[in-house]
Amino acid sequence: MNQYSRNCLLVLLSVALLLCLSCASPPPAGNVVDDLDRTINIDEIPQRIISLAPSNTEILFALGLGDRVVGVTEYCNFPEAAIAKPKVGGFSTVDIEKVVSLEPDLVLATQIHSKTAIPALEKLGITVLALAPGSLDEVINDISLVGKITGQDKQASQLVNSLRTRIEAIASRTQNLAPGQRPRVLYLTWHDPLITAGTETLVDDIINKAGGQNIAYDISGHKAIALEAIIHRDPQVIIASIGMGTGEDLPWQYVKNEPRLKNTEALLNDRVYKIDGDLAHRAGPRIVDALEQMAQFIHPELFEEIN
Amino acid sequence: MALELLRDTAIPKTAAVYPLQWRSRVYAIAGLALLLGVVVVVTLAIGSTHIPLATLGNILLAKLPFTGVESTWASSMETIIFDIRLPRLLLAGLVGASLAVAGATYQGLFRNPLADPYLIGVAQGAALGAVTGFLLPVSWQAASIPLLAFAGALLAVAVVYSIARVGKTLPMTTLILAGVALGAFLAAITSYLMIASGDKLHGIISWLLGTFSLTSWWQVTMVIPYISLGIVVIWLHARPLNVMQLDEEQAQQLGINVERVKLILLGAATLITAAAVCFCGIIGFVGIIIPHAVRLIWGPDHRFLLPLSTLAGASFLILADTVARTMLAPTEIPVGVITAFLGAPFFLYLLRQKKRAIF
Repeated sequence: MNQYSRNCLLVLLSVALLLCLSCASPPPAGNVVDDLDRTINIDEIPQRIISLAPSNTEILFALGLGDRVVGVTEYCNFPEAAIAKPKVGGFSTVDIEKVVSLEPDLVLATQIHSKTAIPALEKLGITVLALAPGSLDEVINDISLVGKITGQDKQASQLVNSLRTRIEAIASRTQNLAPGQRPRVLYLTWHDPLITAGTETLVDDIINKAGGQNIAYDISGHKAIALEAIIHRDPQVIIASIGMGTGEDLPWQYVKNEPRLKNTEALLNDRVYKIDGDLAHRAGPRIVDALEQMAQFIHPELFEEIN
Repeated sequence: MALELLRDTAIPKTAAVYPLQWRSRVYAIAGLALLLGVVVVVTLAIGSTHIPLATLGNILLAKLPFTGVESTWASSMETIIFDIRLPRLLLAGLVGASLAVAGATYQGLFRNPLADPYLIGVAQGAALGAVTGFLLPVSWQAASIPLLAFAGALLAVAVVYSIARVGKTLPMTTLILAGVALGAFLAAITSYLMIASGDKLHGIISWLLGTFSLTSWWQVTMVIPYISLGIVVIWLHARPLNVMQLDEEQAQQLGINVERVKLILLGAATLITAAAVCFCGIIGFVGIIIPHAVRLIWGPDHRFLLPLSTLAGASFLILADTVARTMLAPTEIPVGVITAFLGAPFFLYLLRQKKRAIF
């Protein structure tokens, strides 16, 4: 072929090659807004990521980013691979030096760190993104967000779709229930003092989607509830969270043994259940497991076939 | 004539007025006892669940034999009144009474208006015991926390006593200093344990702020022996306590066995304080403010100060606990927060009204 045609071919091939290369890795996300309304600029795909909360760790591993995780907290116990990662602190106690020494491109924090670790890390020039979802939809949005900024859009949309399908499978059967068909549910996080999950918590969202009504409807957040209020509101289902710290199943045992509760409908019909606190309180992909379990507790007649 | 002049000036005015003052104070005791009764009945009706007074009256009457009142109410109301509110009120009353009396005793013993029941390490010892209980393997926790708190309180004071004792005497300033020092040390250990406790922190903090939220009858029956014994012993020593307001030497010369009285009163006051805090945590403010308020109104004579403080302390804490459980119903606030909030302004008000020496 003559020189002109050869040059055209070379140019075309180079352009095609360049196009292919840029398709292989998605562009960095640019400006994103996190759950604390902070605007963060992501100008390159993060390769070294530190998580400051067990929920964030679970999200990262679920998106296939386990290799990029270089630091987790002492409480990050799922999946197994997370336990071997270097530790940067507890829940609200973050070792800033350790974080800096691990040279992260991105730190995933929560609202707990908003006044402490986040400003300290920002001053040191580290990119911090805070995730603080208050409902199942917000958890899913956060998963998409993390997928977008880490270049794992495909994995994120696969995970999000499967989670949405599972949520829809439950919500579709419960959203048309009349108030009279929704059992009164008490969720007990701890027994001494009696702590429940009120409105604006993930657990409250789960109870509603699972077809129940939370008896702590006039408490917001995780707060104490009076024993006499529980007796007066007569829950039909009591779900106690277990495995909190080394508390084993103390809240569940308390409910079964407290003589003043024995005349509530839940105790009379033996509808007291336990759920792993790691599932129900972590704003990660396993929150949908908690939804499925609680749906079975609250409406066993509707959800028998879920494993 | 000189004799008459002497007689007119020598016999102090108070001698003539004293029978009247005595009588008014006895009436005050009766009045406060009545107030306590009213407070108990009224606060039984108040709570996060609305129970009309008429229904409450019927429920109470139904408990008495031969009244033949038919039950028209849900059994849950009976559970609420007799198994939740009543033991809670009684415990609050007992704790308030003991803290107030212990505070008055410490103020009298140390002759110091800033003394409170936690002065020589009772609170810090109890806190350390309780936090240790929280951190034990879980199956032991339910009964162990009050027990360890009680033991911790008594041990702390025993240590302080043995540090401060000189031969057979007990110098009070040394006692305070030793108590403050040991208290600081115990508080440091407690703080460290709290940080190491991780997610048990919420329960520990609730206990430390003082709460009656899960009171049941067995707690009431457990504390009654210690508290009633201690309070009676203290009441019986009202006269010696009066005399001890003078210098210790003078009191000794007036026939009081000062060292023995100190020991007995310290022991009794510590016992009732330890029993008071071991179930419900460290409730502050009651032990220092109630005796002062009573002194401002009815004077420092311990024969009246002690019973009046007992009754006033009981009513005060019952009312504070009622506020704590209804203010943000159905959620509850630790009662120690309320006592501080209520106590300080009330005391300032009293100070302005009386405008005379506190002590």
